[in-house]
Amino acid sequence: MLRYTGRRLLEAVPLLLGIVTLTFILLHVAPGDPTTAYFNPNIPPDVLEQMRRNLGLDRPLPVQYLDWLRSFFTGHFGYSFSQHRPVAAVIGDALPNTLLLSGVSLVLIFVLGCAVGIVQAVRQYSALDQVLTVGALTLYSVPGFWLGLMLILLVSAPAVSSWLHLPISGMTSIGYDSMGTWGRIWDQVRHLVLPTIALGLASAAGVARYMRGSMLEVIRQDYIRTARAKGLGEREVILGHALRNALLPVVSLLGLYLPLLFGGTVVIEVVFSWPGMGRLLYDGILARDYPVVMAATFLFGALVVAGNLVSDLLYAAVDPRVRYGER
Amino acid sequence: MRVLGRCRSPAAGSPRGGSAARAALAVVLAAALAACGGEGAPGGSAGSVPDSARRGGTVVIAGQTEIPGVDPLVPPPDYMASQVERYVLFMPLVQLGSDLGFRPWLARSWDVSEDSTAVVFHLRDDVAWSDGEPVTARDVAFTFRKAKDPDIPFPNRAYFDRWDSVSVVDAHTVRFRIRPYSQFLFGWSQVPVLPRHVLGDVPDSALAGDPFGTSAPVGDGPFRFVRHDQGDRWVFEANPDFPEELGGRPWLDRLVYRVIPDEATAVAELARGEADLFMNVPPGALDRVRSDSSLKVVTFPTSTYAFVAWNTRRPLLSDARVRRALTMAMDREAMLQAVRGGLGRVSAGPLGPWHWAYDTAWKPLPYDPDSAGALLDAAGWRDTDGDGIRDRHGRPFRFTLLVPDVRIRQDIAVMMQADLRKVGVYLEPRTRDFASLAGAIQDPSRPYDAFLLSWSEDLVIDDRDYWACDRRENPLQFSGWCEETLDAVMDSIPRATDRAEKRRLLREYAETVQRAQPYTFLFDEDRAVGLRAGLEGVEMDVRGELRTVRSWWLRPGAR
Repeated sequence: MLRYTGRRLLEAVPLLLGIVTLTFILLHVAPGDPTTAYFNPNIPPDVLEQMRRNLGLDRPLPVQYLDWLRSFFTGHFGYSFSQHRPVAAVIGDALPNTLLLSGVSLVLIFVLGCAVGIVQAVRQYSALDQVLTVGALTLYSVPGFWLGLMLILLVSAPAVSSWLHLPISGMTSIGYDSMGTWGRIWDQVRHLVLPTIALGLASAAGVARYMRGSMLEVIRQDYIRTARAKGLGEREVILGHALRNALLPVVSLLGLYLPLLFGGTVVIEVVFSWPGMGRLLYDGILARDYPVVMAATFLFGALVVAGNLVSDLLYAAVDPRVRYGER
Repeated sequence: MRVLGRCRSPAAGSPRGGSAARAALAVVLAAALAACGGEGAPGGSAGSVPDSARRGGTVVIAGQTEIPGVDPLVPPPDYMASQVERYVLFMPLVQLGSDLGFRPWLARSWDVSEDSTAVVFHLRDDVAWSDGEPVTARDVAFTFRKAKDPDIPFPNRAYFDRWDSVSVVDAHTVRFRIRPYSQFLFGWSQVPVLPRHVLGDVPDSALAGDPFGTSAPVGDGPFRFVRHDQGDRWVFEANPDFPEELGGRPWLDRLVYRVIPDEATAVAELARGEADLFMNVPPGALDRVRSDSSLKVVTFPTSTYAFVAWNTRRPLLSDARVRRALTMAMDREAMLQAVRGGLGRVSAGPLGPWHWAYDTAWKPLPYDPDSAGALLDAAGWRDTDGDGIRDRHGRPFRFTLLVPDVRIRQDIAVMMQADLRKVGVYLEPRTRDFASLAGAIQDPSRPYDAFLLSWSEDLVIDDRDYWACDRRENPLQFSGWCEETLDAVMDSIPRATDRAEKRRLLREYAETVQRAQPYTFLFDEDRAVGLRAGLEGVEMDVRGELRTVRSWWLRPGAR
């Protein structure tokens, strides 16, 4: 297991190096640089030239690339062009916010998805099953940003906002500073509700579909019949015996949904004014803030690689038949 | 000088006598209306509320972009940041009046020598930095030296091109040597004075990364810095020590700038009362905001115009008749109504109605496809092969238009394409993200036929970078068109000190450009700001949205 993990981590190195190199090339192939976008006749050409020099943009591309790699390996990722501070600090501000949002969404995706899937499998072909199927397929095909905007309109409608007051943007209220500890936690929870739903609901619908299928397969098997024959209650049969096997294929979905989740933050964080990595990447691309874009791409890449690895390891953990790296 | 005094109704006396008296009253009325902000709120005139009832409350401003930093010396230059610098956190030496002339601010007065080569500013002695240090002449000299410092990439160095040296006379007197030109004070209305005792020891190379700009600014303006959460919000609080003579402590307790990048979200926050003011209500949401009784809309002309630049270096677009025809073939009024909800006016040239030299007699070129066709015929473009596209010497009239990836601009491009198709011209829009577009159009090889963009004029007009023959290499020479005779006119604009003479020159300049149509000037854009009905004292014009922020106040019910 350890050897397997080690090998997978080693394999990730050229992959991530490839990702950042490609990002670097793409960024520099696109016309314009951070200073062309300032675009202000009051900036004399020599000042513009100096800005470029200060940002290190006057040097040959290979030098810029090597320089970035060096700053990358020393862990500070260079300096942000637009925020004038080390990218590590910029990311240090934004990453926790994104991990919070996507972590909570991940929980929503699997808890809600599995619950709905189980209910559907147990009540196969019932009216409830049909309704949930239609609902899941609809949600699965809805783009996150649209769902986000609809949620915003929904909770802003007077008929709803009179009894359900949910914040629609940002992470904290204006009066956050003067709140007590519990008040702050509650405030953040309220701010998390809508973006979490917008980010996770479509994936939860997907998980529900998988869970339903997987559960249906399992409950037709002999050992389930045996369990029932023993006189176990339905609850014990489903949650105690069937669930563990039915979860196997679903656990491996984690690796599939992580890229979706991180990709989704780019849009969802813009819609809900969430100051995280997705916003950072979005603003960074618009402002041609190369070091920030490189670092953000790298981090998203690393998170996806890590997520895939975790999902594979989890797979082995829940299924004793799966063994990695043993001959 | 509180808003109260200026807003009091002038209807005390009844007009008597001849038309002169009535005209005078009309002027007073107009001034009072302007001072109180156009759309009055329900619930009686602002003057009926006593001072004590105005103080207090927090105003949340929603803006779509982060304010990158509030140190004017550090790039990138940013529109909102510069407003916060001028009107919220710091004080410039002078302020712009409604006629775009100069009024005292941090400088109580100034003297200009007979030959206009020396300027002496007399500073206020009752202004202090938020850490308690007094604001002195040494701060002014320090700001100037930093602005001129070749090792600092100060984006607006051009403001001080003709300012040569500075000397501190005493604590509140500072003298400059300048080379004379008109409106020479403009830079000092845009760039605030910075604290020497805070920034003096910061080396040039470390200035950009210094916390002064982003997390620890020390200011002397009507508001003080409280906190900045990157990508999320800036919080300011009233400065209780702001000089009484300049209005004293602002009415509001707090001012918050929140970044809400999505405009639909921002409009929703405004409607919910979570934001008190949204800087850029999109045309599509205007009706919704207007119909909401808890909100109001302030619209005002900006110095921004939307335009199509024609690359006249290319034979296809080198003929002024052709460019004129293209302009006349476009139904710009329809575009304005369809994509901007009528926010603005069809443009009559490079000088918009926001400027004092604008001539109300100017008329935009009419929408007239028939005349456009005749002009194209005259220029030799006829549809000889019957394919619906005009051609000349076997070459069809086709060109590409670079368009920024902003929906409004893309919609304009589509309407333009349909209009031009009707006169036998084929336009192919190509979308670019802003930085790519900016890179392409400033490229020395000029790799475009035409592009669509909007442009904000500086309040002091000097457009030589765009049109002067002797600046052909300037990256901003998008069209490549110039006229030698116009160069002389443009050169004399900055030198003209007499307003009437300056007006004549500016008009001649604008009319010459309009005749040649190196651009198709589409519209002079208005901005629509949405705000809470209970937010009073908000006056906005081309000088900026936050200009009167120190006298904004919330009706007690709106706090």
